[in-house]
Parts: sequence; structure tokens; C-alpha cells
Amino acid sequence: MNDDKLTAAARQLATEISPERDLWPEIESAIETPLPQRARWTPMFAQAAAVVLLIGASSGLTYLAVKNDGSVITPNYGAGLNVELATFGNTYALGWDYQAARADLMSELAVELERLSPEERADVEKSLEVLRGAIDDINAALEQDPDNTLLQDILMKTYHEELNVMRKVGSVTRSVMSRSDI
Amino acid sequence: MAALLTLEATDYSHGMVSDPDTIDEAASIARAQAGDTRAFEVLYRLHIDRVYGLCLRMTGNVSEAEDCAQEAFIQAWSKLAKFRGDSAFGTWMHRIAVNSVLGRIRKSKREQDRIQAVVDTSSSPASIGDSGNLRDLSDAIDRLPEGARHVFVLRAVYGYSHEESGNMLGIAVGTSKAQLHRARRLLAQQLTEQGFEA
Repeated sequence: MNDDKLTAAARQLATEISPERDLWPEIESAIETPLPQRARWTPMFAQAAAVVLLIGASSGLTYLAVKNDGSVITPNYGAGLNVELATFGNTYALGWDYQAARADLMSELAVELERLSPEERADVEKSLEVLRGAIDDINAALEQDPDNTLLQDILMKTYHEELNVMRKVGSVTRSVMSRSDI
Repeated sequence: MAALLTLEATDYSHGMVSDPDTIDEAASIARAQAGDTRAFEVLYRLHIDRVYGLCLRMTGNVSEAEDCAQEAFIQAWSKLAKFRGDSAFGTWMHRIAVNSVLGRIRKSKREQDRIQAVVDTSSSPASIGDSGNLRDLSDAIDRLPEGARHVFVLRAVYGYSHEESGNMLGIAVGTSKAQLHRARRLLAQQLTEQGFEA
């Protein structure tokens, strides 16, 4: 059979075929019954997702900021730091260890930043700004839903990330100093 | 399906005659867009045969075709607000029906259960609307591999261009042409063996 015959035959096939049963009652039932609500993509969860992205982005920025001359810097992820949840009420305060570590790092940060080049300093400050903005956003979301464990967890991780950024800055500047001394 | 349907009609029981001249499709669309399910039923009655025919040709399975057609109309209802009349309502419905078929196939594949796992061993379901030698052709189309069958149905049976078929199926024009060529070769092979004469 050649293509022309086949094409001609195909064009004769019925394009309209009646179903053997009426499909409307089931369609009607479906469209009159509200679809089950999916989990709502609330601003709160959107914020949480944004925070996760921001943390990833800030880590990248920090890495770019602190890397120099191809030297490998091993981040010290919370070593010796015992961050524990103190309260998650209206203030969302963290544990004493965290507060102490943060206070120490904050006091050193300004000095450490001075050792970096203006570009690196700007990158680090941008990372910290992003993280602190995220912390504010999560705290705002937690005010609406204080018992949300996902938000609590993300908040903790964001605080961790802020500490890590500050620690990395200290490590880098000390590393730069050592090389200069040599 | 032949039945007289008017917008004022209250009895839309299956099997009524439709006279396209008496139906203001645009008005039904507008009313359905406003949430009138009866107006949507008018649209259903107008288009079900063509939508079901397409689903049946593409799936080769009655129950799958019924599910696809139902799903297509349910999807159409949920998307009706977005219909702006850029294309004919029938064309819009066709596209939704094709998506419905492809969606079910993807779902079936995910479940490692092909859409045609249930094979009708009686007469070929898609040949219901055909007679004589055309039944053989219809049966042969059912036996085509999925990709070739979809392209052949849209291109050769429904007359869509390769661009339109490719667009609906999410494949390149070249792929559509290749699948059509493959379909024709396989069909010719099958039908020659059966002594088919068009």
C-alpha cells in the first residue's frame, strides 16, 4: 500500500466517536466538588524557602569573599559552639553559649573586616546583611506561627550560618597575617 | 450524537440531538466562564464526540479514553477563565485532550504500568466509528508504537500540521515527520500482510 492510499484511508476514519456511556455525570460531579486544597504556599513558607536559598547564596558569597590566592580555607562549622534553643516565645532568644559566641565574634568582626580588601569586605557585609534580613523575616513569620518547627529549624540554621560567616572572616584574616609575616 | 440543544433547554440527557446552528457557543462559553455548569454541559455535548474520538484514537483503549475525555473536560472547566477565544473552542479542547492523554501516559509510565496494559481482546475499540476495511486500518493504528500512533492520529486522521502536532505533543517538527514516516511504514507493512485495499 502506498502513502497516498494510506493517507486517503486515514482521512476517512471517524474523527468523532460517541462514548459508550454518558461521561457528563462524573464530570459534573467533579466540577461541582471543590478540589481538595493543596497545602497553601503561604508567604511564611515562601519566606522559609527564600531563606534556604539566601543561606546558600550567602555561603557562596562568603566563600568568594574569603578565598584568596587559591589557598584552601577549612571552615570551622560551629566547633566548640553549643547552640541550644533557650526560648522560642515572643523574643526567640537563643542559648547563652550562642549569645556569648556571637558577642565575641561581633566585637572582633569590625577589626577583622579591616584586614580584608574593600571588595572582600563588601561581599562579607552583603552576606551578613542578607542573613540578618532573613533572620528578621523568619522571626516575623514565627510571630504568626510560633510553634512552626520548620521555621524554628531554619532560624537556627540561619543563626549558625551567621556565626560561620563571622568565623570564616576571622580565620581568613589570621591566615593572611601569617603569610604576610612569613 | 444527535440532539437539539438550546441554551434554554433544561434536559441535557445523553443522546439528544445537537444542531450547531441553533447553539450559540460563544454565549455558552461566556456563561460557563461565569460558573454556569449547565452552559458548560452544552459545550460538553457539542464537543464530547470529537474529544473522545481523539482520546480513543490516541490511547486505543476505551476506559482510558473515557478517563482522558473526562479529565480533559474537568481541566477545561478549571482553565475556562483563561480561554480568550484566540483559537476555536474545539481546537482549545483538542489541545487539552492531547495533554490529558500525554499526562496519563506519563503517569502510567511512572507507575510502570503502560496506558495500554489493559488490552481489549474483543474488537478494537478505536474501530467503533469505522466500517469495512477502515476497521483494519483502525486496528493497525492501535497496534502502532505510542509515539508513531500519536503523530499519525493527529497528522493523518485529524489533519493537523507537523508544527501543530509537534507543538501539542511537545516534540520537534523533525521528530513528528520521522514518527509519521515510521507509522506509515509500519501500517503499510501490517495492512499489506492483511491484504488491505483502500
